[in-house]
Amino acid sequence: MKEKLYKKEITLTIVFSVLLLLAGHSASIFILFPGLQTGTLWGFPTQYIVPILLGWFGIAIICLIMTLMCNKFDDEMEEFVASLPESETDNTH
Amino acid sequence: MPAEYALSNIWVGIGIVIILFCIFYYVGWMASRKTASDEDFYAAGFSIGPVTNGLGMAATWASLATFLGVIALILKLQVPFVYLWIQWAISIPLLTLLYGTSLRRMKAFTPATFIKQRYGKPSTIVIVCWMILIMIMYALGQMIGLGRAFELLFGVPYNTALVVAGLATVGFITIGGMYGASYNAAFQMIVMTIAMIVPMGAIMKAMGSSGWWFPPLAYGDMVPDMIKAIPTFFDMKYDFRWYFALIPAFTLGPVALPHLAMRVFTSSSVKNARWAVVWFALFLGLLFSGTYVVGFAGNFFTATTGKVIAKPDQTILILNVFYNPTLVAAFVMGGALAAGLSTIGGNLMAIAGLVGSDLLGIIAPNMEANKKVKWGYVALAIGGVMAIIMAFQPPKFLVTSILWAFGLLATTATPAILLGVWWKEANKLALIISSIVCGFTYIIISPHVLPAICIGKGLVAKLGMSGGMVTIPLSFAMFIMLSIIFNRIPALNGFAPSLEDKMMIDRIHGWGTDYDESRYNGIIWPMVIAVVCVGIFFWGLVPWA
Repeated sequence: MKEKLYKKEITLTIVFSVLLLLAGHSASIFILFPGLQTGTLWGFPTQYIVPILLGWFGIAIICLIMTLMCNKFDDEMEEFVASLPESETDNTH
Repeated sequence: MPAEYALSNIWVGIGIVIILFCIFYYVGWMASRKTASDEDFYAAGFSIGPVTNGLGMAATWASLATFLGVIALILKLQVPFVYLWIQWAISIPLLTLLYGTSLRRMKAFTPATFIKQRYGKPSTIVIVCWMILIMIMYALGQMIGLGRAFELLFGVPYNTALVVAGLATVGFITIGGMYGASYNAAFQMIVMTIAMIVPMGAIMKAMGSSGWWFPPLAYGDMVPDMIKAIPTFFDMKYDFRWYFALIPAFTLGPVALPHLAMRVFTSSSVKNARWAVVWFALFLGLLFSGTYVVGFAGNFFTATTGKVIAKPDQTILILNVFYNPTLVAAFVMGGALAAGLSTIGGNLMAIAGLVGSDLLGIIAPNMEANKKVKWGYVALAIGGVMAIIMAFQPPKFLVTSILWAFGLLATTATPAILLGVWWKEANKLALIISSIVCGFTYIIISPHVLPAICIGKGLVAKLGMSGGMVTIPLSFAMFIMLSIIFNRIPALNGFAPSLEDKMMIDRIHGWGTDYDESRYNGIIWPMVIAVVCVGIFFWGLVPWA
């Protein structure tokens, strides 16, 4: 149980860090793959509007999923801590 | 300062500003009645709900620059600066994910509260000194901007504007403490968003855009005319390294900004801190998208009307004076003031926390809670008055772009916080050495102190992007490698993390009383990170175009 929770915490942290970095720095993808700098969306060049959309709604959606998953993880962690023998109430919550 | 922008009726502007300040003082006064303990003063009693905190986070992050400097730089650099700005939005989500919730669990007031418990007093003094320096640079920049905004608005001399605006600002922030700063910031975010977005609808309509009903995203029909007038506007202009260099300097720096972290810590629970981040992303995205459209419209305005904007940082004001009634233009100015005030509020609260709680906690660890609160008020007021005094004739070094200071923070403080939370081997002496050595290296290789010794040139050097790409990975690598070495030298045992330090790491991750030595430990992954950092360090040393 402990090991599983630990791995889950590390996985969540790495995955969401990477996703946030990708959403915030998506312009770099258009530099790495210049072929993507074609076409338009809502009248804008894709290399302009896609980073703006990802930097707004993309980040918000990632944050929403992050919140749901991390809060669920917290519940599991609290359940584990409550199951510990001689569990003490501390000031960490 | 000669202004291209002038209200046709100055009393309208004065009226708007007086109304706003009355509201700020009322909120501050109401908040002061709730402040009874140091938890109330520094962390709003850990009671701020997600929506209010999301607004407050966005307001604290969005400074006067959002209305003035950014738009000027979009006018100058065009689309690459939009990309630079977009990535600010991940700062608070990353901060919350990587350490914000952990430090909220331990009920920290500032990141330095954690540094003190994790690394001890000498390390805390080092980190607090760096953080205070950066907060002073930040507050000073905002204070100068505030003085200039009042000068513009009322046509009074800069020094008079600075004293009046500065004292009025420091007054309501000092009265309110963190409760006042939080509720005022939430209100200020609403003001600045309306001031940024709504008048732009009228401006876009006047410019002939059919997307006036939603300015942040509906100006696509102006693009063909823009490309005809400025064919290079949407060009990405720089190479991949320029874009990569945004990560160490501008993503990792703000992650350690104490005034942003303190917003997370005020949350009513760990879970609500995460919910606040969702609201933050939505609110900040709306405001920032408004900034991009103003930058776009500024370029469009100069290209299609033939008019020259000699002072690009007044672009939003010039557009509003040109296209909108005086009352609207005055309200936009009020929005800009709100942006500056919310950030100054955060900066001064951070200075108060760092001095009144963290440093004082070292000097007088047994001080009673009510005395701590009194000292917090004193530190807050003194910090504000110092910022006003320095803004009269600011030392050249301190008015360097705040963007440059982010690189300094990423070099000196970010490794201490992130490795401290995630790695039990992080060593106290290694932190002190890497923070001081790399921090001073960053200053030396910048163009602001010794121009002859400089990594990079032009804007990348001035903003700290090239310097940060050298010293930030160096700081991480040095901290990791020295920690591994020092922890294995018996003579340096006193600097190695104690069992208590390690147990604290497990505890702030939510493990309660369960301790496992193997968690957040080991040297393989940190060494991999160090090797990657060394690679980035050498990449940063390659001459910049």
